[in-house]
Amino acid sequence: MSPVIPNVPGRLDGPPVSPGGVAGATAGSVAPDSVATSRTEAEVRWRPSRHARRLVTLAVAGLLLATLTRRPELAGLAAPGLLLLGAGAARPGRRPARPEQVGVLVGLTATRLYEGELAAIDVAVYGVPPDAQSSPTDNNTEYPTPWDAQYDTRWALHPGRGVEPASATAVNGTAARFTFTVPRWGRRQVGRVDLVLHDRWRLTEGRVSFTLPVVDCYPHPAAQRTRVVLSRLPNRLGEHPARVAGEGTEFTGVREYVPGDRQRAINWAATTRLGRLQVNTFAAERSQDVVLLVDATSDVGKPGLSALDLGLRGAAGAARAYLDARDRVGVITYQWGGARWLPPSLGRRQVYKIVDAMLAADAGWSRGAVISRLPRAALPPGALVVAFSPLLDDRFVEALRDMRERGFALIVVDVLNTEPPARYAFADVMARRIWLMEQQAIRFSLRELGVPVVHWDGVTPLDLPLAPYTRRPLVVRR
Amino acid sequence: MRAGVFAAAPRLAALLLGAACVGWTATPLLHSGLAGMALAVSIVAVTAGALRLALLEVPEPEHDYFRSAPVRAWLVFLGVLRLLPWEEIAVVALIWLEVLHPARPWHTAALGAGLVAYLLATHIAESGAAPGRLLRRQAKVLLAGACLLAVGAGFAMLPATGAGAGSALLRVLAAVAVVAAAALVLPA
Repeated sequence: MSPVIPNVPGRLDGPPVSPGGVAGATAGSVAPDSVATSRTEAEVRWRPSRHARRLVTLAVAGLLLATLTRRPELAGLAAPGLLLLGAGAARPGRRPARPEQVGVLVGLTATRLYEGELAAIDVAVYGVPPDAQSSPTDNNTEYPTPWDAQYDTRWALHPGRGVEPASATAVNGTAARFTFTVPRWGRRQVGRVDLVLHDRWRLTEGRVSFTLPVVDCYPHPAAQRTRVVLSRLPNRLGEHPARVAGEGTEFTGVREYVPGDRQRAINWAATTRLGRLQVNTFAAERSQDVVLLVDATSDVGKPGLSALDLGLRGAAGAARAYLDARDRVGVITYQWGGARWLPPSLGRRQVYKIVDAMLAADAGWSRGAVISRLPRAALPPGALVVAFSPLLDDRFVEALRDMRERGFALIVVDVLNTEPPARYAFADVMARRIWLMEQQAIRFSLRELGVPVVHWDGVTPLDLPLAPYTRRPLVVRR
Repeated sequence: MRAGVFAAAPRLAALLLGAACVGWTATPLLHSGLAGMALAVSIVAVTAGALRLALLEVPEPEHDYFRSAPVRAWLVFLGVLRLLPWEEIAVVALIWLEVLHPARPWHTAALGAGLVAYLLATHIAESGAAPGRLLRRQAKVLLAGACLLAVGAGFAMLPATGAGAGSALLRVLAAVAVVAAAALVLPA
C-alpha cells in the first residue's frame, strides 16, 4: 500500500491524494474523492494494430518468397501469421459488433492546487448502446457492456505542458487513476488521455482521445509568521496592539481609578500597595491596510526560481500572513507601466482572490490603471505597501519613490537572485560591473528615501529578511 | 520495483528473441554481399526495435526554443527510432537471409516460430498487455500455427521430383492437415 503524501498546509480543495496510479475509481464511476467530474461520449476510431501490420508483413514476405523461390517451408513460415489474421477477421454471429461509441467519466480531485501538490485524475469508461439517444443526464453508465469480455482496455496519459506525472502513465483496466503535480504556478491543461480498446486477437484497436480539464496552479506561499506592523494604525478593530489605550488584551500599565472604569480592571496588588484604587490599562487592538505590490515586468532567473516566481510566492505568503491577523489586504500587479489591482479586503477567500488576480495579470498584458493614479480604494492612505520586485524596471523604481513621497509606508523585498553571466572580455567585465553598481545605487537611493530594501532568496522563510522590521512597529516619517 | 520488472521483462524478452532469430538465421555465415547486407540490416533493425521499446516512455522535452546541439541530436535519434517500423524491417531481412541459405526446412520452421514469438513479445512490451491472458486466448491458434509450420517443413522435405503414390499421398495428407487445423481455429 502506497503511503499518503501529505499536502501543503491550507490545501485548496479536495482530500489528500496518494500517488502510484491507484485504481481508486471503479468501473462506470470515478473515485468518490473527485471534486469535479464530467462525462463525455466519443466515437471510437477502429484501425488495424501495429501487431496486425507486423503479422501481415511476415505472412506476405513468407508467401511471396515461397512463390518466387519455390520453397514450401517459407509458406509454412507464413502460416502462423495468416492463421492469427484469419482468426481475428472471422466474426461468428454470437460475437457482438465493435462499439462505435463509448462514454468516459473524468474526475479531478482538485481543480486548484499549489505548486508541487499532488492531484489525481480518475477516468472510467462506460458503454453507450448504439441506439441510445445519449445525453449527459442519461443514466447509461452500466458497465460491463456486452463487449467488455471481448476488448482489453488501456489508458495512456499524455501530460500537458508544465504537468509532471507522479504515477504510471499507462494503466490497464476499465477505470484508472493518474496522479500528477504541477511544478510551476499558472493555468495548466492537464493533458490528454488516450483510451485504447484491443480486440481479443490484438489485431484491431479502437482509439478514443479526449482532452483533460484545466487546473489552476497557485504559487506555493512563502512561509511567514511575523508581520510588519505600522506605528500608526487606522481606528478599526483588529489584532495588532496599538499605541493608544483601549479594550485589547495587551497590558500597557497601571493608572489611578477614575469613575466609569470597570471594576474587573482594578489591580488589587497596586491598590493595596499605594492605598488608592488602581486599574490596569490595555492597548487598543487595531488592524491595518496592507497592499502587496508585485512587479511582474521582469522574469529573470532560472524557471521555478525566477524573480516573478519569488515575487508571487512571497506575495501569496504575505497575503496569508496578514489576513490571518485580520488585516485588510489588497494587491497591485505592476506590468509595463500599467497596473491591475484588487482593493484590500478581509477573510480567507481574499487569499484566493489575490492569487487569482496575480495569475490573471500573467495571462497577458492588458492596459490597466496607471500606478501613479490608482484610486483610493486600491491604495488607501496610511496603508503599508510591501513591494516584491527585482528592481530592474526604472519606471517601477520611480513609482516606488513617488509613493514614498506621497507618504506611504513602504518595504521592498528584493527578489533578484541572478546576475549577468561572467565573461572574460574587457567590455563584458566592465558592463557587468556597471550593472552591479547601478543596482547598488538603486537600492541605496531607496534606503536614503526611508524605504527599507531587504533581499529574499526564495528558500528561507520571509520572516528572516523582515526580522528587523517585525520586532517593533514600523515608524513612518511623513 | 515490481512494476519495473514487469515492464522490463517483455522488452528484454523481445530483445533476446530478436537476437536469437538473427543468430539462428545467420549461422552458418555466408560470405556473399547480399547476405552480409541482410545480416547487417537485421542486426540494426533488431537493435533499433529494442531501443525503441526501451525508450518507449521517454517524453520529448517541452520547450521548443534554444535547444542545444546534443538535445537536438537526441530528439532526431528518438524521432527516427519511433518513425520507422523496425520489427517489419527485421522480419523481412531475416526471411531474406534465410532464403539466401540453402534449403533447410526444419531450420526455417524454427525460425518461423521464433519470429512469431519475437512479434508477440514486441507487442506485449509496447502495449502493456498481460502475457498470460494474451497467450491463453491465442493458444489454440498458435498451436495450429506450429502444426502448420511443421507441415510446411515436412512438405518441403518430400522429394519434389518423384511422382510416386507415396509422395502424392503425403501431399494430400498435408493439405488435409492444413484444412483441419484452420477449421479448428477459425470459429474460436
